[in-house]
Amino acid sequence: MTALLLGALGLALSRFVPPALARARWTSREPRAAIVLWQAVTLASVLSAIGVVLAAPEEYVRARGAGPLGAEWILLGALAVAGFIVARLLAALVAVTGGSRRRRARHRMLVDLLDRAEQHGDVEGHLPAGSLRVLDGEVPFAYCLPGRSPRVVVSGGALRALTREELAAVLDHEHAHLRARHDLVLEAFAAVHRAVPRPLRSRTALDAVHLLLEMAADDAARRHHGDQPLRGALATMGGAVAAPPEAAGTGRDAERERLRRLDRLSPGAPRPSRAAGAAMCALAAAVLLLPTVALVLPWLLQARAGWPL
Amino acid sequence: MVGLGDLERDVMARLWDAGQPLTVRQVHERLSPERDLAYTTVMTVLDRLAKKGVVRQERADRAYRYAPTQTREEMTAALMLEALGATPDGAARDAALVHFVGRVGPEGAAALRAALDRTARGSLP
Repeated sequence: MTALLLGALGLALSRFVPPALARARWTSREPRAAIVLWQAVTLASVLSAIGVVLAAPEEYVRARGAGPLGAEWILLGALAVAGFIVARLLAALVAVTGGSRRRRARHRMLVDLLDRAEQHGDVEGHLPAGSLRVLDGEVPFAYCLPGRSPRVVVSGGALRALTREELAAVLDHEHAHLRARHDLVLEAFAAVHRAVPRPLRSRTALDAVHLLLEMAADDAARRHHGDQPLRGALATMGGAVAAPPEAAGTGRDAERERLRRLDRLSPGAPRPSRAAGAAMCALAAAVLLLPTVALVLPWLLQARAGWPL
Repeated sequence: MVGLGDLERDVMARLWDAGQPLTVRQVHERLSPERDLAYTTVMTVLDRLAKKGVVRQERADRAYRYAPTQTREEMTAALMLEALGATPDGAARDAALVHFVGRVGPEGAAALRAALDRTARGSLP
């Protein structure tokens, strides 16, 4: 019974909750709390999967008897499968972090060589010293390279297209990504994504968390600069090469992301709310704790009696 | 005191501006008006850049000449495509390389790729 319930829970948390949570608008009220909720949902679904693997054979043995194979071997097999799941997650984490570190190192090396230092002017502002890089090009863009030696990269086009206030807000947005180590959050989700067997994989969580991280950085920037400069920058930067709404693929996603970020910066939009944040954190704790208390603990107590080790 | 990174950047800028392979001495001459550098320092920097794969060493007339492996425009366009998540390899996004304000849509990426192709063809001998 425990295994069945855990299985249903895992299925719900991995298949049905993510699309609903990604569609929900209330998450953008407090993006940082929403990210905690996504982390709880993802962790709980992983733990449910491990729980099923451990509980199902144990419950089967208890109900039907071990048969010729012997209870020890069946339960050892269950432990091995659970161990395999954990190993697969760890391997994915190592692959993702290693891969992005290599990519970043190479990207950083090239950005340093291409930098137009003479265009830095006084835009460096309160970025970490020596982290600003300016690339040639009229397409207005800005991004950051996280890591121990971070870089914030903007195009010459962005320097020309944005006002002083807009540029300051954009740099603050990137700095917020670096300060809060948003890259680590995203890498963890990328690792889980990679560890899930291919037919079951879904980008829903990864994309939703990506958007929430952008919103969290927007919030950090608007605290210093207000909504207007950020709105202006988002309008300029997306507008220059924006995809039409009917365009397929990542372009449409990027456009939808941009519009949702613009929405919450508009004058009439609901303000960030502490109450919404507290509610989401409470929900996150419930997602992790309730199944543990209601399902896993009773099963553990029961199973301990029959555990062969 | 100028860091080695700045020096590497300046050497690359001279090579890109030159439009033709340069010897160590030529690079040294072009840097000298602004910087008091030892010849061997320039040699070391060029060697490092060659090891990084951004500079190609050619032997001509008993002297080594150095040229960038890509034009500045090609290298910039390639970096932008990667940063804007428009690389064909979806893992580039999964690997959480960077975060953006403003991403290009498909046409933006296509335009960038076209620009990249143009500069790539233009630089062929």
